[in-house]
Amino acid sequence: MPPSLRNITYVFTKLGNLTFGGGNATIAVLHQEIIVRLKWISEDEFSLSFAISRLTPGSNFFAFCVAVGWILKRTFGALLALIASSVPCSLVVMLVTMVFSLVQSNPVVQAALHGAIAAAVSITFKTAWILVRPHLKYSKHSRYKTLFLFALSMVLHGLLKFTPIEVIGICATLGLFYIESVA
Amino acid sequence: MNVFMLYLVLLKASITSFSGLAAIPIIREALVIQAHVLSDAQLNEAVVISRSTPGPVAIYLVSIGYFVSGVGGAIAGWLAMITPALLVIPPIHFAGKKAENPKVKEVIKSIMIASAAMLFLDAIPLAQNAIVDVLTACIALGSFILLIFDLIEVHWLMLAGVFLTLGQYYFLYSTALASS
Repeated sequence: MPPSLRNITYVFTKLGNLTFGGGNATIAVLHQEIIVRLKWISEDEFSLSFAISRLTPGSNFFAFCVAVGWILKRTFGALLALIASSVPCSLVVMLVTMVFSLVQSNPVVQAALHGAIAAAVSITFKTAWILVRPHLKYSKHSRYKTLFLFALSMVLHGLLKFTPIEVIGICATLGLFYIESVA
Repeated sequence: MNVFMLYLVLLKASITSFSGLAAIPIIREALVIQAHVLSDAQLNEAVVISRSTPGPVAIYLVSIGYFVSGVGGAIAGWLAMITPALLVIPPIHFAGKKAENPKVKEVIKSIMIASAAMLFLDAIPLAQNAIVDVLTACIALGSFILLIFDLIEVHWLMLAGVFLTLGQYYFLYSTALASS
């Protein structure tokens, strides 16, 4: 049974605005909540939402929220997910901007942030693992292909400084050729 | 600069970039160099704030909007940040119907793998920045192990991290006081 609009608002408000570490860390938390715990969408729908949000201009995270909201409840789901995930954290940022210059050098604030950010980094690594893990479970051939694309992306992005959208375009094209060659 | 013009500038920056901080060159050119309504220091502060508060990195647009035009500017920044996200609806609607197509599946799979690799790479400098001593290294490593095995909720990890580093701060502070 699909969730109510109220539940969608609640989950996106709670998780979209309480997770440090950027959009990808938040997506990992949403994965845990809406797939593992609540079972609102399938792993395939999650992958689809994530992949298309990566190809959408602007913030990938908000595009992801809109995509999941759309899958759950079409227009209202998409709008509510977008508003719920963006308004509270925007208000927080506006307030923090007002007081930031006053507290930025406060050592207690700095100490607290160090702990939160150190934990947030591990979430980013876990997100990378969540994305790649399902593709390592198939056949040996699929594992090799996954490792090849992973290594190729690292070389293109890390060494050759291709932009994310260029890397995604190259890998998507290779993926298409792969399925055609198998067919 | 009026709020509507600010919205258009920030929307242009947001819609022509595919990741949070990638919009900065366009914003700097328009608001710092040409319009002189924002300083480089404020631009940096906006980025620091977005890294220090919950939510995605792109939220620095709200901060920039506030620096330029107060509350109205912050609203313009918020709208510029969320508007491009609506562009995801047509492709998700179309691809949703084709999701079982092997070609679509393979393309999605390839995008996921490429994204994972780039995310892994992007996380390395973040880790270098976040790990400032032995304690933060232990927090990061311990959090990673606990998360990989789904042993704890993220919020508790963040809270534990805050308490541990605050505890360390007060311990070092009281030790320094006692020795002096």
